[in-house]
Amino acid sequence: MRSKSIGDKIFDIINVMIMLIVVIVTLYPFLNALAISLNDAGDTVRGGITIYPRVFTLRNYELIFQNPLVYNAYFITIARTVIGTVLSLLLTAMLAYGLAHRNLKGRNFYTILCLITMFFNGGLMPTYFLIRSLGLMNNFWVYIIPSLISVWNMMLMRTYFQGIPEALEESARIDGANYFTVFFRIILPISTPIVATIALFIAVGQWNSWFDAFIYVTKQELKPMQSVLLSIISEARFAESIAQSAAGAGVTLGDVGRTAQVNVRSITMATMVVTIIPIVIVYPFLQRYFIKGIMIGSLKG
Amino acid sequence: MSSQTALQQPKVSNKKGGLTDFIKQIDLQFMVIPGIIWLIIFAYIPMYGVLMAFQEFKLGDFPGMSQWVGFKQFEYLFSDPNFGRVLRNTIVISLLKLIINFPAPIIFALLLNELRGKYFKQSVQTISYLPHFISWVVAATLMFDFLSVDNGAVNSLLMSLGLIDRPIHFFGEGRYFWPIAVLTDLWKELGWGTIIYLAAISSIDPQLYEAADMDGAGRFQKMWHITVAGIRPTIILLLIFTVGNLLNANFDQIMTLTGQMTNSLLIDYADVIDTYVYRVGLQQARYSYAAAAGLFKSVINIALLLGANKLAARTENALF
Repeated sequence: MRSKSIGDKIFDIINVMIMLIVVIVTLYPFLNALAISLNDAGDTVRGGITIYPRVFTLRNYELIFQNPLVYNAYFITIARTVIGTVLSLLLTAMLAYGLAHRNLKGRNFYTILCLITMFFNGGLMPTYFLIRSLGLMNNFWVYIIPSLISVWNMMLMRTYFQGIPEALEESARIDGANYFTVFFRIILPISTPIVATIALFIAVGQWNSWFDAFIYVTKQELKPMQSVLLSIISEARFAESIAQSAAGAGVTLGDVGRTAQVNVRSITMATMVVTIIPIVIVYPFLQRYFIKGIMIGSLKG
Repeated sequence: MSSQTALQQPKVSNKKGGLTDFIKQIDLQFMVIPGIIWLIIFAYIPMYGVLMAFQEFKLGDFPGMSQWVGFKQFEYLFSDPNFGRVLRNTIVISLLKLIINFPAPIIFALLLNELRGKYFKQSVQTISYLPHFISWVVAATLMFDFLSVDNGAVNSLLMSLGLIDRPIHFFGEGRYFWPIAVLTDLWKELGWGTIIYLAAISSIDPQLYEAADMDGAGRFQKMWHITVAGIRPTIILLLIFTVGNLLNANFDQIMTLTGQMTNSLLIDYADVIDTYVYRVGLQQARYSYAAAAGLFKSVINIALLLGANKLAARTENALF
């Protein structure tokens, strides 16, 4: 290696400093939220909580988990993620598998039909009224059905399936297997990298989705976690109601105003942590597969 | 793209045996047909429904089947003073993001590439990708706290540096909204935006750097003439996509940061075409008018995409 010049060294130092600033600015809001969620609500109001709790408590989490609303919302989030991922993956993979076959009748027509939707869409108003006419308002299936296929994901899978040697399929076909058998018994098992990647794309999208619940669902019992968090940050009264209904008689009258105020911030942060914790837990895994997906996409493009 | 390679293949099937071929591969067709039916219902019916922009839609009508009124909704749209403001906000926010948030990941990727420690580099990458995986609801929750007037980190920092006397009410004044929209978007997507560039950088031939070393090229010369030159096609490709989405000013972000457009202090600066469609369409029940605003946006976006693609074609980097 050549010896480094002074200019090089200065550049390296500045570069490392820039990286540290990015890391701090990225992480600080998360760590601060975690610290507030684990800090005594009464103490938080004094201010100055940074990245560690000053008076450690799990009380904020107890408060939100005493609320049946939170359990229900969590159940809805898990249900939409699991059901949505399985069904969406199945339909997307089948379409991709079919379109990967050069001998598919009408392949060009189907492909063009798919590609057009990547550049044009009807927009909010016609979609909204379509959902209404289909009777999907205030219906759990509004989380699943309208988002079943993403053409982008389908294209990634199709590219992958096209790379599988045809001989593998042909030998099974000669033995008399139909395309469904080949797909489920041979193609899916050897395509785990792309299946896992697309499953994670869909699952994260489902977990984070909030707008469908916001415009199509008014029933509280059908709202997912994102909606609960959205209500908490939009209406302070919502957070108070969660805190108070749980706190019950434990709050003395003189404290009500102050405690309610304090609780809003603590409850918000605890709810936020509960909302993202599954994502953070699987994050290292998630990250690897997401990057893989992007790579397959960029190789194609 | 891939469909072109299919077209280049010699055509095996002949048109006459079409139906028998179709029946022979009926199981294969059954794998495709559910997806195609879904596309027709959830992509093509709304595309047809957008005709409601030229009609007078009433509740109970099916979109696209109401009485025709020609360009009336568009005449209302272009004479509405609110729409001028909406257009201004959309263009300003989008252009600011294009100018600042488009080059930022490129620069960040170049800097990451210059880092010497492998583990340090990986850690920075892993951490900087994290905000991409959270929803804008969560991101807004964090940003409300980060920028809070009451002990928020940014206000505390500015106060302790003596730059301000009183905490700034970031979400209480419209004039702060544009920088907030740009910077919170940068916070969320800066790291993730580097991935494609880092992939492109890793595929540059290392011999080019060795040859440049022989010629006595400096570090910045190598960064510019080899690295940046090597990822130029990627940059142009992503630029076409960004320009084609220019009028989509991140609906999720603006909705959540404005309390679903209930923060009236911000509306003069935050209302963009997408939020306007939501407000007039679903809150004020002016359905056809809102559809017209949405259609206007789509048409401009497609024109921008085609225009950008045409410009890129001159550098032989066109998308299609």
